[in-house]
Amino acid sequence: MTRADWVIVISAVALLPFLYALYWGNAAPGDRVLVLVNGKQVLAASLATDTEFTVDGPLGTSHIKVHGGQVRFTDSPCANKLCVHTGWLQHGGEFAACLPNRVSLVVSGLNNRYDTINF
Amino acid sequence: MQLTLQTTREDHRIAWLAALAITIHIAESALPSPIPGIKPGLANIVTIIVLMQFGWTTAVWVALLRVVVGSLLVGTFLTPTFMLSLGGAVASLAVLGIASRLPGRGVGPVGYCVLAAMTHIAAQFWIAYWLFIPHDALFHLLPVLMTAAVIAGLVTGVIARAVLDRLSDTDYGRHPAAAAAD
Amino acid sequence: MTTGTSPMTANRITQAFRCAVTLLAAALIVTACSHRPHEHHEQLVVFGTLVDITIFDADDKSIARASAGITADLNRLHRTWHAWETSTLTAINDRFAHGEGAIVDAEGMRILRRAQELSIASGGLFNPAVGKLIGLWGFHQDDAPKGPPPPAEVVAELVAKNPQMSDLTFSDTAVTSGNPDVQLDLGAFAKGYAVDRAIGIVRAAGIENAIVNAGGDLRAIGRHGGRPWRIGIRNPGGPGILASVEVTGDESVFTSGNYERYFDYEGTRYHHIIDPRSGYPADGATSVTVIHTNGATADAAATALLVAGPEHWANVARQMGIENVMLVDKGNNIHMTLKMAQRVQFEGEAPSVVIVADPP
Repeated sequence: MTRADWVIVISAVALLPFLYALYWGNAAPGDRVLVLVNGKQVLAASLATDTEFTVDGPLGTSHIKVHGGQVRFTDSPCANKLCVHTGWLQHGGEFAACLPNRVSLVVSGLNNRYDTINF
Repeated sequence: MQLTLQTTREDHRIAWLAALAITIHIAESALPSPIPGIKPGLANIVTIIVLMQFGWTTAVWVALLRVVVGSLLVGTFLTPTFMLSLGGAVASLAVLGIASRLPGRGVGPVGYCVLAAMTHIAAQFWIAYWLFIPHDALFHLLPVLMTAAVIAGLVTGVIARAVLDRLSDTDYGRHPAAAAAD
Repeated sequence: MTTGTSPMTANRITQAFRCAVTLLAAALIVTACSHRPHEHHEQLVVFGTLVDITIFDADDKSIARASAGITADLNRLHRTWHAWETSTLTAINDRFAHGEGAIVDAEGMRILRRAQELSIASGGLFNPAVGKLIGLWGFHQDDAPKGPPPPAEVVAELVAKNPQMSDLTFSDTAVTSGNPDVQLDLGAFAKGYAVDRAIGIVRAAGIENAIVNAGGDLRAIGRHGGRPWRIGIRNPGGPGILASVEVTGDESVFTSGNYERYFDYEGTRYHHIIDPRSGYPADGATSVTVIHTNGATADAAATALLVAGPEHWANVARQMGIENVMLVDKGNNIHMTLKMAQRVQFEGEAPSVVIVADPP
């Protein structure tokens, strides 16, 4: 093994963790939900783990639930509850929004079946 | 009318080595593969040995003949498999060409094989993405493919080194011009 | 070797050059591996809705320029054409109510003329002149109305006034209405126009592949790398995705549905798409999806065809020059043009009945 060999082998091996971090990092199997307040992302959660959390907007607290690979608004401090009526989101590209409270959910994933959703 | 082709010793050598590489290529394509597209790349061993024994130009001939004739024999000529194969070969030959011009003691068989395997996979990945499966999920595979490439490169490199050691013991086929070639 | 240089120096230069080339090549390979064609996602809260922008393979500068441009332009349109908050449009409506003409700028003229053309082509089923009726039903507020529905005789009275887009007459700079009961509400047109504007801004920023989705209605240009854009159409009757279509080049996908804004009162659902002929919410179809190049046209057509319902939509589509239509009726049967049927992919189980109308 020459010095050049060592350099090549070591840098090749060193490249691998970097690749895993780049393409596997924070992309748990399946999709994620991005939570935005005023169009700015405040948190991202994997849809693989069932959980419930709350996000504060200008009007108050919106409640969000992740269950069985889907996500939805369960409550929001708005009058018409359109966001809650939107129901479960599952596919990459689907989104729901509580406009009065400026909170929105977008499903995103490496494996988006759709680029966007029409409704 | 009879056509006579003047062949040189160099031509004969290329033909013999290409035949060897093609044999390995075909044998390998008959082997079952756990993941489509992942092959150990044993034919690369021949390319690397030729590169180190006879220089880059001969290696280019051997590798390209291997891809074209091999695909004709297996029946994949001009199919996606062939394009992947050719793309991988061209890219790795380019990188080998640059690496073989490195100053100093230069690169050994293991370094060449690792470089060749990684370039091969990287080029094939991009061809596959752009021409055949333009789906982002493909990128999920890239780390696995590159890991496989590094392992395959190391394994073929060790084999190539063992073969080269034997060759230097017998001093077989060492071309006097090889040292002068780039 | 070059003249005037000693072989020693020349050798060093060659070595250094080779080193540099090798490093460059290595760097290229590594960056080629890590540069993945970039899919950019962005959400803007403008135009009273969530605008979702998807951009494929463009540089950050162009994306920032497009995003800032869209925000500014859609905010401007929102202020100009809002149907009930004080806007240029409410000012025009005030003038009409007093029997006066209104001065309108060039863009406003274009919009109103186009809305008039589309309304006439739809046989009055897309009728942005019935703003009073929409307000009467309580849909001129951000929150859903609580009911009860307005008294039948008040509705009938307004319908009898017969406000139509054809009541408008245009001079070079002014619009007048021959009918004082014309009150404009561009709800079924403005979103399409806004999406068209947004795509124009995206293009002007040098971006070739993008989707602008404003609260579910979208226009897509270019493609997603080596494949077309894939658009999922949400199931109007329940959760999940009903179907998908692939879009390349430049097309708008608009859906009007009775589930978008509504209220329930004593067991009856009243939604926001009012049939201008009866004055009551359009009855018969659950949703209509239209694909057409122009967003504003697709928007108006989706509304007109929902009003037309399962019996008459094909005629209206022909009059409006719309070739791709999918209508879901109240029994969840799907009605489609032949062209639409050729490109729609149903997800999961195909719906029970698919009726393909004669090609227009």
